[in-house]
Amino acid sequence: MTAGRSAWAVLAEARWPEDGDGAPPGVPGFVHSPFHPLVVAVAERCLTRRYGAGPLPADNRTAVVLVSAGGDTAGAAHVRQTVAAGGRVGPLFFFQSVPNSVAGHVAARWGLDGPVVCLSPTGDPRAEGEAEADLLCHDGDAAQALLILIEPAPDGAPGEATAVLLGEETRQ
Amino acid sequence: MAERGPVRIIGMHAVSALGRGADALLSGVLTGAPAFRPVRRFDTTGRRVTVAATLPDVGTLADELADAIDRAGRAAGLDRADRAGTALFLATHGGPHSLPVPERPAEPSDVPGAADGGRLGPPVPALAGHLADRCGLGGPTRVYTSACVSASTAVADAAALIRRGDLERVVVAAGYLVEPDQYALFDAGRALATDGAVRPFSAGRKGLLLGDGVAAVVLESADVAARRGAPTLATVAGWGRTGDAYHACQPHPGGLGLARAVESALRRAGLPPAEVGYVNANATGTPFSDASEAAALGCVFGARAGRLPVSATKSVHGHALEASGLLELVVTVLALGHGKLPPTAGWLAPDPDCPLDVIRDAPRPASTPYALSLNAAFGGANTALLVGAP
Repeated sequence: MTAGRSAWAVLAEARWPEDGDGAPPGVPGFVHSPFHPLVVAVAERCLTRRYGAGPLPADNRTAVVLVSAGGDTAGAAHVRQTVAAGGRVGPLFFFQSVPNSVAGHVAARWGLDGPVVCLSPTGDPRAEGEAEADLLCHDGDAAQALLILIEPAPDGAPGEATAVLLGEETRQ
Repeated sequence: MAERGPVRIIGMHAVSALGRGADALLSGVLTGAPAFRPVRRFDTTGRRVTVAATLPDVGTLADELADAIDRAGRAAGLDRADRAGTALFLATHGGPHSLPVPERPAEPSDVPGAADGGRLGPPVPALAGHLADRCGLGGPTRVYTSACVSASTAVADAAALIRRGDLERVVVAAGYLVEPDQYALFDAGRALATDGAVRPFSAGRKGLLLGDGVAAVVLESADVAARRGAPTLATVAGWGRTGDAYHACQPHPGGLGLARAVESALRRAGLPPAEVGYVNANATGTPFSDASEAAALGCVFGARAGRLPVSATKSVHGHALEASGLLELVVTVLALGHGKLPPTAGWLAPDPDCPLDVIRDAPRPASTPYALSLNAAFGGANTALLVGAP
């Protein structure tokens, strides 16, 4: 298994924050945590740079590969505290309790109909994400991949995220 | 590196509320008696639903995973040198663990540094490294946190990497033990069946119920398995992974994404749909999801979908979330190997939105060379694993 053996081109790349950015805007249906707004903001910026307003045409087989060691740590901590105190968590926390949800939100908004894969990296996050993207494309289930790398800051601040669209370079 | 032949399944182990080991799992799913009982592991006061399928005397997730990996490795005949060259792909929840507390003092195998003092095991992703060390697996590690397709995606990736020649052997391990945080979330989301029964594809189905699931499966390239004389339990003949591009949490109502996953698995195996003689369905017992899955099967199999034997063993062992794909793969391999297709519990009456041949009441004898194990998850993620008889 060769991490980062990808021969795929970087079709677009974005970060959040970039110069002038504040906190990313909220996302309807997602609450309490900076994780989901950050994923959506960096994905939107990356895809907009490549495709404008979107969405992509059907059968684009664009995978979403989300790489995060801890995922939504703020949301998970809130659930832990609420449950430990004998309380009831809000229903929205159920729907956002796995990273697939926000990855699927991005996929639905942009029409990305390739695989949705979430990884918790055991080594270099970008190398692991690129290796997964390469495998999905080599294997044929994906034609290109949106790789999202995110780690919220430990103090609950939004943290940083990078999104990379990997695929074969073609004329647009 | 050269592409290789069909990927072999050469060892496996599973733990669920039905018991420990493959024999207990097979016996339990063939009996078809649901394992749901009142939850004793933690307090469910205030929850709408208070049952789950839990195994008494279960250990920590780390301990159960290590045991499953070790037993699967022994079943596969892996010696110390074999293990040193084996990769570990782990499927589990990515957040902080909320696990059953073992009723024992701390032991040397506990990992220091975890927030709980180490008794419950290390946080993800360190858990993968911890398990690899404990079990002597020296190859690469990966951790999948893709909700209910975590384990099946790991199997697909492992098979693809073996087929591509990157790896000779992978242990895929997956685990979920019913715990208070996810239980509270599923209860709050009104996902749990308020009548205490899982009724896949049936009229009157009300939702899912959670269940323990820990499993490990050893995948190996055909040439290495042949050279070692390893027993072949089944082959992973094909696999497919797709996204619906429809909704963050709901499947496409027409099942289009899941249908594409099945078609991808068949295409990879070079087989027509007619070769498939059994489907172990994702079927959680959730009204919308089961109808979507039935529509997917209709897309792929056409009129034959109504005559294709289908069962949903979540109705017996519960939904093991990130581990469900591996637990159900083990069930599918056992069903193929023994020529007995497990029944689906909880059936009340036909649902016109699910016009399928659902096996119920008793196991159905069958001899088929290929079966599908299907899974779907939040995010519109779908997987199909095409299992070949040995």
